[in-house]
Amino acid sequence: MSTAELIFVLVKAWLVTGAFVSVIFLTIGIDQIDEDAQDAYVFRPLLVPAILLIWPLVLWRWYVLKTGRDNPMSRFHPVRKAHDVVAVMLAAAIIAALVAGFSVRQTWPADADPVQLSEKSESSK
Amino acid sequence: MNDREDTPFFIGYLQVPQKLRKLLLVTALALVGFLLGAGLLIGRTQDTDPGGGAFRFDYGQQTVSGVVENLAYPLFHVTEGNDRLKPGQTLMLTGSGKDGVSNRTLPMVGKLATAKGIVLERGSLEMLQLAGGKRGLSEAEKQSSVSVPKPEDLGRWKLTGEICDGKCLSGAMRPGRGLAHKACANLCLFGDIPPVFVSTKPVKGSEFLMVLGPDGGALPKEAYDFIGQYITLEGAVARHGDMLVFKMDPETIELAS
Amino acid sequence: MSVKYVPVQWNRNKWMYDGFLLVGVGLFLGFFLHIRPDFLSGNDPRINAQILNARAFGVCAFLMLSIILSIGPLARLDPRFSALLYNRRHFGVMTAAVALTHFGFILNWYFAFSKSNKYEALLFANTNYGQIAGFPFEMFGLFALICLLILSTTSHDFWLKFLTAPVWKRLHYLIYPAYAAVVAHVALGMLQDASGNVFPALFVVAALIVAGLHVAAFVHDRRHGDPVAEPVAEGWFRICKASDIREGRARIGLLPNGERVAVFRQDDKLSAISNACAHQNGPLGEGRIVDCLVTCPWHGFNYDVRSGRSPAPFTEKIPTYNLKVHDAEVYVDPNANEPGTYVEPVEVPPLEGEA
Repeated sequence: MSTAELIFVLVKAWLVTGAFVSVIFLTIGIDQIDEDAQDAYVFRPLLVPAILLIWPLVLWRWYVLKTGRDNPMSRFHPVRKAHDVVAVMLAAAIIAALVAGFSVRQTWPADADPVQLSEKSESSK
Repeated sequence: MNDREDTPFFIGYLQVPQKLRKLLLVTALALVGFLLGAGLLIGRTQDTDPGGGAFRFDYGQQTVSGVVENLAYPLFHVTEGNDRLKPGQTLMLTGSGKDGVSNRTLPMVGKLATAKGIVLERGSLEMLQLAGGKRGLSEAEKQSSVSVPKPEDLGRWKLTGEICDGKCLSGAMRPGRGLAHKACANLCLFGDIPPVFVSTKPVKGSEFLMVLGPDGGALPKEAYDFIGQYITLEGAVARHGDMLVFKMDPETIELAS
Repeated sequence: MSVKYVPVQWNRNKWMYDGFLLVGVGLFLGFFLHIRPDFLSGNDPRINAQILNARAFGVCAFLMLSIILSIGPLARLDPRFSALLYNRRHFGVMTAAVALTHFGFILNWYFAFSKSNKYEALLFANTNYGQIAGFPFEMFGLFALICLLILSTTSHDFWLKFLTAPVWKRLHYLIYPAYAAVVAHVALGMLQDASGNVFPALFVVAALIVAGLHVAAFVHDRRHGDPVAEPVAEGWFRICKASDIREGRARIGLLPNGERVAVFRQDDKLSAISNACAHQNGPLGEGRIVDCLVTCPWHGFNYDVRSGRSPAPFTEKIPTYNLKVHDAEVYVDPNANEPGTYVEPVEVPPLEGEA
């Protein structure tokens, strides 16, 4: 099996697992952990694509909320410090990508002439 | 923060404050105007002319007779043609999609065969996309004494240009070359579509040369690192029928400056 | 706001926002694809429709993403632009849709027609990872697309509440590597083949504006960021003078544990609440008291400043802080109370020159 085939199989397995998780979470789990979701059904299909993609995070949060391990204060610690670093890194990455792109850019060498090196090609070649 | 006493305060679900309305309207119109202008400007100045290559469905299906030559990628030398494809012309062959036809041509090497298909044409470069199975390529019932034309040695050359896949270049994709198209070209080449070198200027009358490895085999692995880039490289050029064939030396590849 | 989830909570401003967006995107695509005299004249367009479409949707997604990325720093440099933050999620979802369309045109054209599965072909067709020119730039695009899909699919308010705002925000930080990847994707892809200067120039300008705005906002925050609260005896922290706080506004103090407290003045009484909104951790202290309720500058979530509770029927709660005023200075106990804990406001002298 090639690497590409392997990755493709893993991606499919990830999405299929996500589909199982979304069925269980949206029929059983969501009512247990969010009272605002009780009796609200129209919005649930909207959540399916996200569960397909990030189902491990869904399972983890479901577990934390269900078992009462959620620290209510943790909701109020916004991630603001990282923002400075990220802003500078973003700017650096953008400039690096632009420099890389322009440094290798070629123009069609329309003036280059074909050069004949010999009348006969060596037969050994 | 730079929040002054008179800074208006926007609340999403309420009416927009009077003082903000103008700013937001101007911003919204500016964004719409920017997108409109960018669409017009980029759309109008984009590259739209990939050269004249195209599928010639307008010619209809072509039927010709000729001799199959066995290089790493097959060539078809027309012996009995029609209005479009004349005797003496040499065609590259391809299957549908990104598939070559070596498995079909191998049993017919050196024999007279009948080929049916759609022409892809880019200037002097011609390719025939064979119809499926026996219908596309079959041994002629009457085998006359034909033979593959003797190749003419044109010497060693140093050429500047780009290695492309012969099918997209001939017009299957427009544009069908360059780095944005590289992965697509690789897929064609993996599928046994003949590679073609586009020279900056004609070599002995043609700017297109079918590419082979130094020993006459398939495109060398090293060449894949340079598909879609402008390079110089050396190799032996020979004329097979009216088609130039370039046996490239992978060690000589350099990026063109 | 909470109370029974619905797919989208529409209001007039959102309709306007989305309307302008749709018109902008529609005009871009329309002009890019169709206002081409040299195209219209011939019955055989010279480039494939698929490639033309892929270009149009790709460039559109890049420009939309550049605009989205500019809104955040712009709002920090000038709070009046905070209005653009509202409903930014709809902008993001639309961008993901445009990017996905671009992907579809590429996948079903360049990676189709071979014997291999087209998704696998995308992964193996080009493996020149060791070089810049000829690098499989598609992988940058693929990475960015996956990020955009994660972001857009988790944009519903349910995810904010379920994951908590800090986790949701961390997840949505993916927009930054995604944008950098998009720039690399374009720089090593379309830029390499584009002749002429118009697209390269617009591309560079857009990317540099995004980079520049982020650096400018970073510098601005360094200079004008929230002041650090000073420790004094018995664990109390000094925030500011009582007279520094205007009626209906707050002063923010950065506590040693990294939390921010917002001290509001309402009817010449002070109350201290968490600066982080329960919804998306918006900076409540940069909001105002409107109709007796603290209103978040991001999405307008409301809280009673004394208890940190949203008015019924809403159920959001934020932590409150104990505070005291001594010699006209405001002090806060850095140990937050449980979300929704009532704290008696502290009366202070009225401000001079204000009724």
